[in-house]
Amino acid sequence: MRIGRHSYDIDYGHLSLVTFIAAVVFWYLLDARSVSLSVNNLLLVQPVAIFALAMYLFILPQCFHRVDAREAAKSPTQKDPLHVTIPSERSDVMRMLALGVSLGLMVFLLDVIGFDIAIFLFSAAAMAICGERRPLRLLLFSLGVTLVTIYGFRALISYPMHTMLL
Amino acid sequence: MIDVSAFNEALGIMFTSVGSWGWIVPGLIVGLVFSAIPGISITMAMAIVLPMSLYMDFFSAIVFLTSVYTGAGFGGSVPAILMNIPGSPSSFATTFDGYAMSQKGEHNEALGYALFASTLCGIAGYVLLLLVIEPLADIVLRIGPVEMFAVAIWGMMLLGSLGSTYISRGLLAAAFGILLGTVGMNTAGFTRGTLGLPVLLDGIAPIPAMIGLLAASQLLSLATRDYIIEAEGSREVSLRKILKGCWGTLKYPGVLLRGSIIGIIIGAVPGVGSSIGNLIAYAETKRTAKDSATFGKGNPKGVIAAESAVASGEGGSMATMLALGIPGGGATAILIAAFMMHNIVPGPSFIETQKPMVYAIILNNIVQAIVLLAVGIGFIYVASNIMKVRTRYVLPAILVIATLGTFAVTGEAAGPITLFVFALLGYALNRYQYPVSAVVVGILLGRMLETEFLRSYQLSGGNPLYVLERPGAMAIFAVMFISLAMTAWGKRKQNRAEAAEAEAMLRMQDEASHAHTPSKG
Repeated sequence: MRIGRHSYDIDYGHLSLVTFIAAVVFWYLLDARSVSLSVNNLLLVQPVAIFALAMYLFILPQCFHRVDAREAAKSPTQKDPLHVTIPSERSDVMRMLALGVSLGLMVFLLDVIGFDIAIFLFSAAAMAICGERRPLRLLLFSLGVTLVTIYGFRALISYPMHTMLL
Repeated sequence: MIDVSAFNEALGIMFTSVGSWGWIVPGLIVGLVFSAIPGISITMAMAIVLPMSLYMDFFSAIVFLTSVYTGAGFGGSVPAILMNIPGSPSSFATTFDGYAMSQKGEHNEALGYALFASTLCGIAGYVLLLLVIEPLADIVLRIGPVEMFAVAIWGMMLLGSLGSTYISRGLLAAAFGILLGTVGMNTAGFTRGTLGLPVLLDGIAPIPAMIGLLAASQLLSLATRDYIIEAEGSREVSLRKILKGCWGTLKYPGVLLRGSIIGIIIGAVPGVGSSIGNLIAYAETKRTAKDSATFGKGNPKGVIAAESAVASGEGGSMATMLALGIPGGGATAILIAAFMMHNIVPGPSFIETQKPMVYAIILNNIVQAIVLLAVGIGFIYVASNIMKVRTRYVLPAILVIATLGTFAVTGEAAGPITLFVFALLGYALNRYQYPVSAVVVGILLGRMLETEFLRSYQLSGGNPLYVLERPGAMAIFAVMFISLAMTAWGKRKQNRAEAAEAEAMLRMQDEASHAHTPSKG
C-alpha cells in the first residue's frame, strides 16, 4: 500500500487479531451498558474497556510497516524474554495446524462419540502427526492412553463421563 | 508468643502418636502426583482422599490431609517447569523462569531450586505460624475490601515485570484479561457477557483458560520436535544436578525471606491464597534484583521467589483456618470439613482450649516439609524422565490429560471447550508478541479486582478519602509506592552509571585513536 511517497506493508494477521480483541471489548462494553448504567455494574468494566479501546488505537499503526523501515528493524523476538518462539517453516506450521484441528475435533466430539472413542482417535492422530508410522504402536499406545485416562479420571472425579465402549 | 507448657504437651502428642507419622509419606505422594496432573487442584486431591480420613483417629486424619496439602503445594511446579503447564494457579509464576531453565537443559537444577525453596519456606512459614498464630489472627480480622483491593492491585503490578517488547500490547492484553475475568454475574447481581450461556454465569473457568493460553503454543509447537529438548545432552536426569539446584537455593537468602514474608501475609488473607502470593513475590524479586533483565530467561531467583511464596502461603492459610475457623481457600475448607467430621470446630475457642493440639498440628507440618525434601527428590527424579520420552508419546498423553483435567474442573464439556478456545487465542497472541501471561493475570485477578473495588466503593460511598481511614490499605499502598520509587531510583542510578561508563570508554577509545594517528607536517 502507498501513502504519500512511502510504501507500507500491512500485517493482516496482526490487524485481524487486534481488531478482533477490540470488537470483543466493544461488544462487552455495549452488553454491560445494556444491562444497566448503574455504577455497581460499570465501576470497573467501563474504564477498563475504554482503556483497552484506546490501546487498540495506539497499536493499530503497528500493523502498518514502512517497507524500508521494516527491513532495518531488529527482530523483536530477541529482546522479549517471555516470547514463545513459534516455528515458521511451512511443514512445521502444517503439523501444528493438524494437531490443533485434531484437538478441536476431540474437544467438540467428547459428548457426541463418547470420551473413549474421541480420546483413542485423537491419541492415534496426534501420534501420527508427530511422526509415528508403525500401526501396532499407534494402536497399542492409543489404547493404553485411553484406558489409563478414562479409568483413572473416572476414579478421580465424581462427574459422569459419557463413553461408548468403556 | 509461644506457650511453653502447651508446646511441651504438643511434643508429647507428637511422640505418643508416632503411628500417625506413617501417613506423612503416602499423603505427600498423593499430593505430589495429583497436583502434577494439570487441572487437578489441591482442593480436588484433598476432596478425593477426605473420605479415607473418616476411618482414622483425629490426629492421623489431619496429618494425612495436611501431608496431601504440603505435597500438592510443590507438585504443581513439576509440570510448570518441565512443560510450561502450571498444575494450579499458584504455580503460574514458576513457569516464567522454570520453563526457560528447562529449555536451556537446566530442568534438574530448576526442580532442585523449586523443591528446596518449597521445603525451606514451608518450614519457615510454619515456624512463624507457631510464633504468631494469635496476633496474625487479629490482623486477618482487620482486613476489609479496601485492603483486598490493594492486594489485587499489588498482584496486577506483576504486569510491569513481564517485560514485553511492546508496552502497548502488554497493556491491551492485561485490560482484555481483566475484562474476561469479569464476565458473568458480579457481586451486585449484574450479568454481563454470557452470550446467554448458563455456564458463563460464574465467569470463565480460570484453570482451563490458563492451561489453554499458556500450554497451547508450547504443546502444539512440540509437534515439530522429536523430544521436548532437542539437544541430547540436555535431556539427562541427574540426581547430582538436582542436589546442586537444592544447594544453590541457599545462595539467595534474601529472595527466600522476601518470598516467605509475602507468602505468609497473602496466604493468611481469606479468599486470596497463594495464587496471588507467587505473582507478587516474583514481581517484587524481579523489581529489586540487579539482574532483572535476565528474569524470564531462566533466572533461578524467579523460581525460588515463586515457590517460596507458595510454600509459606500454606502456613498463612493454616493460621487463618486454625485461629479463626475461616478457610483461606478450597484446600483449607476441606481441612475444616475434616475437623468437623471429628466433631472439632476450629476457631478462637479451639486455639484457647486445644492449644497443644494446634501446636502438634503445626509441628507435624514442619516434619512434613522436611520429609518432602526426600520424597520430592525421588518424585522429581522420576518425573524428569519425561524429557527422555519422544514427543510422539508424550504429547498425545499430555494433551488428553490436560483436556480431562479441564473437564474435572467444570464437570462438563465447557472446560475442554474453554481450553481449546483459549489455546487458539494463546497461539494468536504469541504469534503477534502479546504477553499471554498478562491475559492470564487479568483473568485470575479480574473478578477479585471488581468485587473488592465494588465493595470498597459501597463502603466508602464513593469517597476516595475513605482509604485514609484504613491503615492496612494505606500500608500496602505505601509499600507498593516505596518499592516502585526505590526501583525507579535504582534504575536511574544504574542508567547514569552505565552512561558514564560508556562515555569513559568512548573517551578512552578517542584518546587511543589520537595516540595512534601519525602527526602531519
